[in-house]
Amino acid sequence: MRKIRVWKALARGVLLESLRRKDLWVVAILGFLIICAAGALGFFGINGLQAFVKDLGVTVLGLFSTIMAVLTSCRLLPEEIKQRTLYPLLSRPISRFDLLFGKWLGAVVVTWAAFLLLVALTAGALMTFNVRFEPIMLQYVVAKMMGLAVVCAVSLAMGTFMTPQAAATLSFILAFGSSMLIRGLIMAYDASNPYMAWIFKLINVSLPQYSLFDLGGRAANIGWSPVPPWVMAFLFTYMVVYCGAMLTLSWAKFRRQTI
Amino acid sequence: MGARYASPGQCRAREHTGAPKASRAETDNCAVIGDAIWVEDLHVRYRAKNGRWVNAVQGLSFSVKPGEVVGFLGPNGAGKSSTLKVLMGFVEPKSGACEVFGLKAGSLEAKSRIGYLPEVAVYYPFLTPVETLTLYGELQGLSGASLKQECRDLLELVGLKDAQTKLNKTLSKGMLQRVGIAQSLLGKPELLILDEVTSGLDPVGRKELRSLMKDRQKEGATLFFSSHELSEVDMLCDRILLINKGVFVEERQMDALKDELRKYVLVYSGAPPLVGLASDLDEVGAGSIRASFATKQDLLQGLDRVSQAGGHVDDVVAQEGSLEEYFIERIKEAA
Repeated sequence: MRKIRVWKALARGVLLESLRRKDLWVVAILGFLIICAAGALGFFGINGLQAFVKDLGVTVLGLFSTIMAVLTSCRLLPEEIKQRTLYPLLSRPISRFDLLFGKWLGAVVVTWAAFLLLVALTAGALMTFNVRFEPIMLQYVVAKMMGLAVVCAVSLAMGTFMTPQAAATLSFILAFGSSMLIRGLIMAYDASNPYMAWIFKLINVSLPQYSLFDLGGRAANIGWSPVPPWVMAFLFTYMVVYCGAMLTLSWAKFRRQTI
Repeated sequence: MGARYASPGQCRAREHTGAPKASRAETDNCAVIGDAIWVEDLHVRYRAKNGRWVNAVQGLSFSVKPGEVVGFLGPNGAGKSSTLKVLMGFVEPKSGACEVFGLKAGSLEAKSRIGYLPEVAVYYPFLTPVETLTLYGELQGLSGASLKQECRDLLELVGLKDAQTKLNKTLSKGMLQRVGIAQSLLGKPELLILDEVTSGLDPVGRKELRSLMKDRQKEGATLFFSSHELSEVDMLCDRILLINKGVFVEERQMDALKDELRKYVLVYSGAPPLVGLASDLDEVGAGSIRASFATKQDLLQGLDRVSQAGGHVDDVVAQEGSLEEYFIERIKEAA
């Protein structure tokens, strides 16, 4: 119970700071602009282009929420160290893992709040075109939220090993280029000897498989059926395992770090 | 505040030898731990930007008894903050032992008994003082109405009642230091470790802080603080520990040190100079002599001699010695 209270307090601190720093409001403004853009499309008439509008919606959602996740998470720890706000935190009877977990939880809450805000605004925009919502849309939202939790864990881990700028750059490369990287790795191990193929496979498995969480392609199409429940269960398991691995990696670096 | 009890697993038989290592009030089975802070042969080093190791603390040993107020002094770069960081578990020492109430320094159990004020008062700019204290209070294990009440009381105590809902980024350095002092007092810690405690405070703030610290001491808390403000040290401390370049220089009881630094001055006329008794003799005009004495005993003897010689005592003054001069002299000697 005490640990949960500690994580909750740390996460609330991150959320409060993000709200006061107006990060979420920036997202809200961006969402408003999406509605305006959609309204402009509506002005020119887009009957029959529901799939395009849905695709545009999920692309914008994915883009902004990932940016929010990376920028919130990768600066959490380096900024605490740089500004020396870490001292009064760590002088409390909390472990360094609790601190990392609480901060990650805060970043996830902020990112999910931003994502859900965007979802609400995009949904509002789509409804103006009478776009039909299907169960796959709900699965898309849930899967994306799980994917964002992984983005937060990866960015936080990067932030413990490098400067916020370097961590943000690498996190963006992984977040937006992971499908390309993975495709390249698959091509590489298809063309390699067994030993090298094994190494490439290992690298592939180690990299975050963000594309698994992206059901945007299915959601954008009209009439596509939802994915089976075991797929969602697998995504959930993958999220738990990968986030656990990233937090453990961060803790391994941070637990003896001189601050 | 009496001796603390550590669990048998946390106890180890130890033997201290030589000054300044204080004897520990331990029983044979090591169940009673007497010291609030115990540091033995501490070595701390950092890797500099050029890749070289820099020794911040070298073989430091000292102890602080429960209820004591101890000033930790030394020039910039002496290793004070490094030692305090080891006590808080922020830095892993290269070697040596460091315990707080018989518990490993930096352990969660040890930290739950400490209130810490960092050297630089920086708190989340987008939180208010009351939110800041609530956050730290929750991490300390406090919750509910009692936490809210304690936050309110502490902010009132440090004079931030009217600023409790302003964002930290709008507060002055002195006000942030007050936020820091308030957060260090959350949960009524048994040991207060304060790094540069008076930094940023105005004279009124310093006086209030002194009174607050004295109150905490009366309640039984142990105070261990570093400061460059020797007047604060003079007014607050029972004992001082002096370090320079990471090496222990000396420890002194403040009462004894003040006695040693105090000079007694006798101005008299109509009697011969008190040669051999006074440490310093000056003619101050019209047959008056000003004699300085190192001890009260010498002064009394001087007064006797003047009286026996039929002289006239014009003035007797007890001059407090300068702690600053003493500090500078000792650091020079150590260097």
